[in-house]
Amino acid sequence: MKNILEINKLSAGYGALRVLHEIDLSLNEGERIGLVGLNGHGKTTLIRAITHMTEWQQGSIKFCGEEIGGIRSFGAGRRTAKLVKMGISVAPQGDAIFPGLTVRQHLNCGAFTKIAWKEKEKRIEMIFDIFPPLKKLENSLVGKLSGGERRMVSIGRMLMVDAKLYLIDEPTNGLAPKIYSSLLKAIWELNLNNSSMIIAEQNINLLSKNVDRVIGIYAGRLRGEVGHVELK
Amino acid sequence: MIDLSLLPYALNLAAIYALMAISISMIWSSIGMLNLAHGATFAVSGYAAWNLSIIFKPIILSIFGKTLIAKLLMGFVLISSAMVAGAMFGLIIYLLAFLPIHDKPNYPVRSLIITLAINIATIQILLFMFGARNKGLPKIFGFGKFEIFEIPIRYDQAGTIISTIIILGLMLSWLKFSRMGIEIRAMMQNPEGAAYSGISRRTTAIPVLMITGALAGVSAALLSQTIFVSPTSGSIPLIKGLTIALLGGLGNVPGAMIGAVLIGFLEAIVGSIQQRYVMFSTFIFIIIVLIIRPRGIGGLLDDTRE
Repeated sequence: MKNILEINKLSAGYGALRVLHEIDLSLNEGERIGLVGLNGHGKTTLIRAITHMTEWQQGSIKFCGEEIGGIRSFGAGRRTAKLVKMGISVAPQGDAIFPGLTVRQHLNCGAFTKIAWKEKEKRIEMIFDIFPPLKKLENSLVGKLSGGERRMVSIGRMLMVDAKLYLIDEPTNGLAPKIYSSLLKAIWELNLNNSSMIIAEQNINLLSKNVDRVIGIYAGRLRGEVGHVELK
Repeated sequence: MIDLSLLPYALNLAAIYALMAISISMIWSSIGMLNLAHGATFAVSGYAAWNLSIIFKPIILSIFGKTLIAKLLMGFVLISSAMVAGAMFGLIIYLLAFLPIHDKPNYPVRSLIITLAINIATIQILLFMFGARNKGLPKIFGFGKFEIFEIPIRYDQAGTIISTIIILGLMLSWLKFSRMGIEIRAMMQNPEGAAYSGISRRTTAIPVLMITGALAGVSAALLSQTIFVSPTSGSIPLIKGLTIALLGGLGNVPGAMIGAVLIGFLEAIVGSIQQRYVMFSTFIFIIIVLIIRPRGIGGLLDDTRE
């Protein structure tokens, strides 16, 4: 099975703050990993480190065999756009939406790679099939949508790219159980084909039956697969 | 009772200020740079238009004589040369004040200082090259005036207002519908989200700085119909552009447009009473608005939430 992501001794942080401590993680083609941990223990920073959004990082990150680690960035990631074009697609925490664009324009924003731009209409229809409420809202401004609808738009934008690695950061955060259960159902039903997924989440019960492995993160260190190693 | 003859003067000012304020606002919100070299772009564009008008004026006159075609051609040469010079200067700002530092700590402060340095250095270079004497650009729209509803309008005022409406209309449509326009708007609204969408700030900054530079060029060519070109001619439009961009809510294009119209009218009205109170009243007005609405006029227009 082809290796998609290989992380070795990755440390990362912001300024003097070291958030991640020598993390090792491997992800194969078609695999879904759940990353579970409490607030402030490094789930988001790990996703940000993979996408070059941390101020500094040490160690190695190999994506499909190519070294992408060691890049530091202040503000919006210097090389994040390049990673998206290489095949890493992200639905970040807090959605990172564009409030003044319509749902359709927002989804188009996920298609700024050459191939995705050519296929954008087809993929938008696919996303409307996955999240039917978005179809009616396609000409509405994203800034006027509810939290759940925004999360659908954010994940929809992520799916506009035919990526090799999807990173989703806390998709249920701040949503009512009824709304996030339908959102998660759509995520679990995604046909990954040859892609892989890392999904960060606080609630282990939402992940365990739907991902191949659940890995715990505590104080910036991976604590192995949950079930084998107990989280503090 | 307000004197209606002030209307064309106020709209003329509003048109120039809108071009400057929208540019400053766009640069700030899309690439996080408060571009203090925008005044230098204005002055450089004015000098480029003046230089090319000296070269082309005798050629055009010798071929077409004093005909309408000659006037149109001169207008085209003036505006296009100012736009190209502005866009090129935008590229220089990109190379000096954006590219080397955009991923370094304290980028907004560093870029502010570098663009200020570019502004000062450019003024000195222009002084060295062309001297302190003012230069007059040929009149694109000719001399004379006409009346609408008994309000006298000078040709240059009408030309400036109409040209600005056309140019801003084209630019805003391009921003709204083109792929590059959507990229720039996405970056204006959420730089981090834009990076996650595959939009490179490093690449998109090039058209942003070139287009806003071209807009400064247009405003230089149009304002130079009323005032002279000089090394410091960009300073007042820069200050006005910056304050109007703040009044409109930095990053908000419609807010900047409304702000420009309000300040244009305020200046025209106060100027008709007592010219020396113009700057004073402008800043007092902006301060009052920002105390009441810290997000500026844009905050009132924006019905979406972040």
